[in-house]
Amino acid sequence: MDRRTFVRLLSVAPLAGTLQAQGSPESKRAVPTLRVVSTFPPARQPGMPGPYPGTVINVASETCVDTESNAANAEVVREMLARGMCALTNEKEPIDAWRRFFEPSDVVGLKVNCGGHPWCVSAPEIVTEVIRQLGAVGIPPTQVFIYERFQNQLDNVNYTPHIPEGVRIVAAERANAYSENSGYDPRIYVEADLFGEEDTRSNMMQLVSRRLTKIINIPNMKDHGATGVTGCLKNIAYGSFSNVARTHARGVSHTYSFVGALASVEPLRSRTVLQIMDGIRGVWHGGPFARTRRYVFYPKQIMIGTDPVAIDRLMRDIVENKRKAEGVLSIWDRSPKHLKEDDTNARDQDPNVNILIREPEHIEYAASLGLGVADRSRITVRDLTV
Amino acid sequence: MTLLPFLLAALPCLYWTQGVDTLPALKEAGIERVCVPPDRAEPWKAAGVAVTPLAPADLAGREALLVPGITARAGLASPTRVPWVNANGWRFRRAGANGKFSYEVPAGKAALAAAEASAYDADVVLQIDPADVPALGQMLAFIKQVPPADLPDVADMAVVDDDSPITAEVMNLLSRRNLLYRVVRTPSSQFPLNIKLGTKEFPVEEAADPSAFALKIRRLLTDDKRTLRVYGSEVVVCRVTGDAKHMRVHVLNYSGRDLFGLRFRLRGAFKQTEAYVSSTGRVQLDDQVVADDATEFSIPRLGTYAIVDLRP
Repeated sequence: MDRRTFVRLLSVAPLAGTLQAQGSPESKRAVPTLRVVSTFPPARQPGMPGPYPGTVINVASETCVDTESNAANAEVVREMLARGMCALTNEKEPIDAWRRFFEPSDVVGLKVNCGGHPWCVSAPEIVTEVIRQLGAVGIPPTQVFIYERFQNQLDNVNYTPHIPEGVRIVAAERANAYSENSGYDPRIYVEADLFGEEDTRSNMMQLVSRRLTKIINIPNMKDHGATGVTGCLKNIAYGSFSNVARTHARGVSHTYSFVGALASVEPLRSRTVLQIMDGIRGVWHGGPFARTRRYVFYPKQIMIGTDPVAIDRLMRDIVENKRKAEGVLSIWDRSPKHLKEDDTNARDQDPNVNILIREPEHIEYAASLGLGVADRSRITVRDLTV
Repeated sequence: MTLLPFLLAALPCLYWTQGVDTLPALKEAGIERVCVPPDRAEPWKAAGVAVTPLAPADLAGREALLVPGITARAGLASPTRVPWVNANGWRFRRAGANGKFSYEVPAGKAALAAAEASAYDADVVLQIDPADVPALGQMLAFIKQVPPADLPDVADMAVVDDDSPITAEVMNLLSRRNLLYRVVRTPSSQFPLNIKLGTKEFPVEEAADPSAFALKIRRLLTDDKRTLRVYGSEVVVCRVTGDAKHMRVHVLNYSGRDLFGLRFRLRGAFKQTEAYVSSTGRVQLDDQVVADDATEFSIPRLGTYAIVDLRP
């Protein structure tokens, strides 16, 4: 009945310098105290940042996707993954690269991203190839789980026709209706009173805490109304915990600290051993959704590593540069004049509208928690072309 | 046997204007007691039904209650998905033992109304849509199944009632947040926090925004000192009664749909628990943890109403 718990308090202080340089209203940067509670102790060698901190393998291919039809090329994707994994691990054969991370007894979760349906989700071609490689390591399909928080999002994407029989597709809730908590672990949570909400806890999915031994994070390259961009950190954090939409409202986004705080909670941090950033397609505005093709673009690349911070740091530049190329508002803009609080319709119509003061520096905050390297000068990128 | 009068008093009385020919439907639903207009009482008595004659004027003299449930707040972007909750608990608390109330509820609301009245031991007459007779019968049967307990209210603060509408709204919002209070006429030394509107600490102008005012009170009290916390939904209102040996938590779900894995934290170490959930019966609580002088547990599936008993 009584089990040991590990509690830590994150009292957040804003990073100095950069925000002021953006000319932002500092009053909008809220700095809550976060109470992290877990039944798992901190790991000696956490999966994030893992064995390759500050290292990103960037595999590009002009032929990985047909930009007319939006269809990915499975053969090219397979080659991109093989080359990327070998480059990351310095192994000659992909099987040996995968064996660096996995063994036959592992129960592996693939944290996909389905929020950008129908135009930009974790590509079935990547998911399928990952499952194939896990099989080569000796992990049967029955020990592989594709997961998201909401079943209806998984249903929309429908990975089933692409994957081997036996792979489980699992969600914590049927839909984003805030009525189902049974899929979350009541003993592992981050507690914070952000806006005076009564439900102050965000709990980790039970699948993560009680079933999986390893997790592969497969996010997309996307703009995000609250965090500026969404990639590895946001996908693994907000996609593995309950009650996270409460962190951003009325123009204020507490994602600055909350994303990294969630990602740092054990055992999520330890079990997330591999990051595969699906940049075949991307979203440069209106994210995390992609209801229209208007804001979809094609980076045509896959980033591989164990450091989610380093990958997100690079991805942030990609999205920001695309926005610059389109001549629209920077993700760093904190001006109230571009803010239409919580008006998603206006945001979807106009790339120069923000619904919240965005927090792209959540990546630096995550770095401050030890999740990886955000300093661009300390990130080593190895570029490959297929 | 001595508990029977108490039990009956806690059950709402169905106000029934239909003829005695509807008796089979009531019997099938397990409804054993009705309130009827005096001129219709005799046939019901003759049929062996427990009848309370209630004149229309007496019915009209009762305080009318809101239809319990939730209302979406249109035009408000609400990432925490907090709809407006129409709940009557604060009215029961404010009126105390002498309060007399009536509901007139549409189809689908009888069970929740009965649960709400029972949770607060309120003297209530219930006017329902006849289609709700089976649901009402099921709820009354559930309430009767739970062992009765005459326990005092647990409170973390006092609200000094000046009978004003604005104090009423403050009580409503405190209840809505599961901030437990006792209604008093003058400040009570039993509580470190006394909410008296019109004082320097609690200006009337501040209470013009009752939600913000309730939040201020919550922060003055601090979450650590709250007897009860609820995690996983903001459409649940609780009443807590008890003492050091026996605590009872009444849990009312206003959402109209089942809630799964709702989590509770109650101050105090309680190792023995018994839980009853409407439409399910007695259930085992999930993930009970006793630590730091607090007890946490989850209700696996919450219908309209649950009662949780806790003992050391």
